[in-house]
Amino acid sequence: MKFKKFIRAIKSSENDKASSNTKQVNGADIEETIELIKKNTTQINDVVFKKIPTNEGIVTIVYSNSLVEKMTMQVMVLIPLANHLNQIHQVSEKIDPADKTEIISKLMGGQTLLYFHDNSLLLSIDTYSASTRAITNTETESTVIGPQDAFTESLQVNISLVKRRIKNPMLKNENRIIGTESNTEISLLYVEDIVNKENLEMLKNRLDKVNYPSFPDVSILKQLIEDNPLSPFPQYYMSVRPDSIVHYILDGRIAILMDNSQAAIVCPTSFMDMFISVEDYYNRWTTATLLRMLRFFGFFLTIMITPMYVSALTFHPEILPYELLLNLQESRSKVPFPPLIEVLFIELIIEVLREAGSRMPAKVGQTIGIVGGIVIGTAAVEAGLISNILIVLVATSALLSFLPPIFLMSNTSRFVRYIFILSAGLFGLFGQMLALAWLLAHLLNLSSLGTPFMTPVIPRKAGDLLDGIIRFPTAFLKGRSGISRSKKK
Amino acid sequence: MNVDKRKQLNGYHVVFLVQNVMIGTGMLSLPQDLSSMGYSLALYPLLFGVVASLNLWPMIWINSQYKNEDVFGINEKLLGKWIGKSINLFIVLHLTFFIAGIIDDYMNLIQTTALPEQSTTIPILFFLLVAIYIVSGGIKSIARFCIMAFFLTMPLLYFLRWAIEKGDISHLFPIFNFNGSQALEAFRKGYLSILGYELIMVYFPYIANQKKAYKHALIGVWISIVLCFIVTAVSVMYYSEWQLEHVTYSVLHLFKAGELTYIERIDIIGITIWVFLVLTTITGYLWCAKKGIDSFRSKNKASHVYVITIAIYLIVLMPLSKEVKEKLFEVAFHTSYFMLCWPILLIVIHLLRKKQVQT
Repeated sequence: MKFKKFIRAIKSSENDKASSNTKQVNGADIEETIELIKKNTTQINDVVFKKIPTNEGIVTIVYSNSLVEKMTMQVMVLIPLANHLNQIHQVSEKIDPADKTEIISKLMGGQTLLYFHDNSLLLSIDTYSASTRAITNTETESTVIGPQDAFTESLQVNISLVKRRIKNPMLKNENRIIGTESNTEISLLYVEDIVNKENLEMLKNRLDKVNYPSFPDVSILKQLIEDNPLSPFPQYYMSVRPDSIVHYILDGRIAILMDNSQAAIVCPTSFMDMFISVEDYYNRWTTATLLRMLRFFGFFLTIMITPMYVSALTFHPEILPYELLLNLQESRSKVPFPPLIEVLFIELIIEVLREAGSRMPAKVGQTIGIVGGIVIGTAAVEAGLISNILIVLVATSALLSFLPPIFLMSNTSRFVRYIFILSAGLFGLFGQMLALAWLLAHLLNLSSLGTPFMTPVIPRKAGDLLDGIIRFPTAFLKGRSGISRSKKK
Repeated sequence: MNVDKRKQLNGYHVVFLVQNVMIGTGMLSLPQDLSSMGYSLALYPLLFGVVASLNLWPMIWINSQYKNEDVFGINEKLLGKWIGKSINLFIVLHLTFFIAGIIDDYMNLIQTTALPEQSTTIPILFFLLVAIYIVSGGIKSIARFCIMAFFLTMPLLYFLRWAIEKGDISHLFPIFNFNGSQALEAFRKGYLSILGYELIMVYFPYIANQKKAYKHALIGVWISIVLCFIVTAVSVMYYSEWQLEHVTYSVLHLFKAGELTYIERIDIIGITIWVFLVLTTITGYLWCAKKGIDSFRSKNKASHVYVITIAIYLIVLMPLSKEVKEKLFEVAFHTSYFMLCWPILLIVIHLLRKKQVQT
């Protein structure tokens, strides 16, 4: 029988080792190990010990019930044990019975341990088969054109979603375990002959230094390895769309996927990338350019519109033409507050509406949205709490804040807006310009994995401008972007 | 990636550093400063350009002899430790008063146009905080900010459109209706507004391509000169000779010529956006002053910036009469001519002491 040969082969190799390593494994040791495992897993009730009689004598199998499906157990272990023992050796791996930590960690990782009592042999079979979600379309980053599939929470599925798009042996995925308590698996994906080695080294160094207990989502890892964790701006790209992750991997960036996390992060990333949706490449260049301009200038508009209202009405009414000023004053005639309080009041109401809307169950949410949006809006104006022109401005800037394809960026724009509103309330236009100067200086000082965040404003490569605010026709977009500093041009 | 951490300024950084530090509040009153020339002032900035180009050469030359030293280091090497250090301290003092002068100038302007009902105490504080924030990023951060400021403020040129339409182009023809003393007077007052290129003596060791530094600096100087020329030319076209002499901050009033249906008083937007240009000037000088203290105390410390900033804040807020303050700042501005001539003196000493220093 093949299996006997296999056992003999393993035994002989062990005998070779035994000459250097005097520790001999015998039946008594195995019993001891099983007792030890039992002791270690007394409170882990899903660990199952089963004794099964086979042709090779009694076999004890140990596995974790919740991580192994019954069907897998049947197909991978039980049927071969009963009928085709030689199948076992095709899928199993021998482990050292003395290595207690390895045995336990394999058990916790969903592997099945087999103890052959007669032969004093320990084998493990990877039977990890926790149920996963099916690949569905994304609800957070949906597009009209282009592939609709999204990452799931399973690392293996996510890697396969990337690999089925890049069929290239140069695409590497380096897995490693992080999280001192949770032992989460992450995977670094990059194309070896495109990626910049310095970037890769820097990222690996940073990952080595990460010392954090657990990672429920990849965004926590992202905050730990960013260049400036104190900044309000996200410095790495984050998406659940495999097509956009693939786009960046092929551009020479590095993607990090994490088990149990739907999103993947990409680094390095520039400020401009935050306004680029992968859908732009599916659209015609004219449409894509229009949309990109909207998003980019929309970001600056959304942080400027309401502060402008504050500073114009508080400090510089002379800026406005007579008719417009009349209009504004008329709508504000019943409002008892100064413009700053008025704006802060309505901005906070919008925040409350948004936050409540995202927390409420979907069915209630719609109704409350209507109540909040229409009733509060109209009633507040009629009650004379706020002017209706301000309602228009606030609604526009709230809509504009949702334009960036990356949700973290739109969160940032909402935070930054309050800085601008307060500075406009303090010093009017001068305060606004000071705040803008701070914002730009901050953005210019930011870096993403050591590369300036503001490329292509700080030019690295003239070709970047072809794929900036204006998306040139696809035939022009052959080169890789400057920020990835890729090896291939 | 540069191996040497100090060599961080690329060509375009140098261009915009030189260009943007030169343009500050001085440009706003340039036509008035030159007004003794009458309508002939339009071409005067071009003369400034030539003088600045010639003046730039000794600075670059003396620096390229000591590739890893800024002007403070060169002072110590050539003049000995004590004389060098006292000269450096003098330069730092000059820079501090110079910055205070610029801030005072700009803040008065802001107060008269944009914030008429507020005292400037707190705005100056916030202004200085932003300046510290930019300076703490190092010279490269300042250079990047200069690039940004350039592209943000360039659109302001568009607002000159109406002034050109309403102006009279015949004012521009040179008729040479001035005498030597008037020309000198205009030079003395007006040249101050294009100061700023002399800072290259301090950040020269940080330039990556030092051989081409002169070329890059020249490009920067001439971009500024062309901008100044545009401003003076449009002013000459738009104003009468009397107005040129008596309208303060005449460039601001050029913006007022604009007619838009949805916005009035473009000058307020203009003067507030000008904060970018002032910030680039201030941060450039502030960084250099910090370097001065660094070399004076022979150690590199971030706290030096705070010391200078507090000094500036106190100087600006000093309860002195307006006349005394103006006199003080004028002295500080005029000491800059000493800075411009200083490299020539250094070259002379360098040639005399060449062998001693090198051995």
